[in-house]
Amino acid sequence: MRTLDIVQSQSTPQIRYDHQEHVLRISGESYPENSFEFYAPVTAWVKEHLAEENRLRLDIDVSYMNSSSTKCMLDLLDILEEAHQKGGAIDIIWRYDKDNPRSLDLAEEFKEEVSCTFSIVTLDQSR
Amino acid sequence: MDLFQLREQFSKDGIMMCFNGPFSHSIIEEMGTAIKNHLANENIARVAVQDVFAAYIEMTQNARNYLTRREIPTGDTGSATIMIAKKDDVYVVTSGNVVLREDIAELTSRVDGINALDPDSLKKEIRRQLRSELQPGALGAGIGLMEMAKRSGSGLEYSIRDIDDRFSFFTLRVQIPQV
Repeated sequence: MRTLDIVQSQSTPQIRYDHQEHVLRISGESYPENSFEFYAPVTAWVKEHLAEENRLRLDIDVSYMNSSSTKCMLDLLDILEEAHQKGGAIDIIWRYDKDNPRSLDLAEEFKEEVSCTFSIVTLDQSR
Repeated sequence: MDLFQLREQFSKDGIMMCFNGPFSHSIIEEMGTAIKNHLANENIARVAVQDVFAAYIEMTQNARNYLTRREIPTGDTGSATIMIAKKDDVYVVTSGNVVLREDIAELTSRVDGINALDPDSLKKEIRRQLRSELQPGALGAGIGLMEMAKRSGSGLEYSIRDIDDRFSFFTLRVQIPQV
């Protein structure tokens, strides 16, 4: 079974796959030095995972994303959408703090790009 | 250099933070964290904190990517200046870096083009750019300027000062209301 476990840093989120729950979690902030390089292994992992096991839940809790990370995230969503179109069990959860409306805007924009389940969850806690 | 005079100038202009020098990624991270912590202590909406931080990140990463991509020599030319100031209830994020004179026409027409867009068209243009193929070896997604314009709501301001036959100094400024 494939693992994916990227440790969080100041400018990069933690990205980890939970085998038991079939959930890929992305949490933290995302403004890497080179977003394309940073997300390339994640995209590759997701493609391989979906080829083997046609199901995935993506759970995102990222309070800030720079513009190039946004592009990488959209690429990731496209891959999930394609799997969904082919009958894969895909769902996406986007968590955001209620005092961070920019994150909600971004979630809504991403939601428009896909037809799979995309839940937006408000966190009512200052962190 | 009279430090007292510099300090007086800083307080007169409401400058909270100013950095001049070569920007490494770790300096971008460290200063970004300092800015966020500083703003978190001011009693302002978190959306303003996020927008100032976002403008700071896009500007510094844009400058760094440009200087790298165009192979601007390190040293004075390879460095950038970033400043965050507060005037009345508006945060002003300004960055400056050396640009090749041959790049100026394209750069200014890009900024002018962004400023001419209304919020709806800006949103559409960001989406279009997000959906377009990247140039091989691209360091950014090409939407940093639009992202700043969107968050500011009052457009991007710029100025250009010629240095010599080869280089000019490009200054970019965005205003973020405190809300």
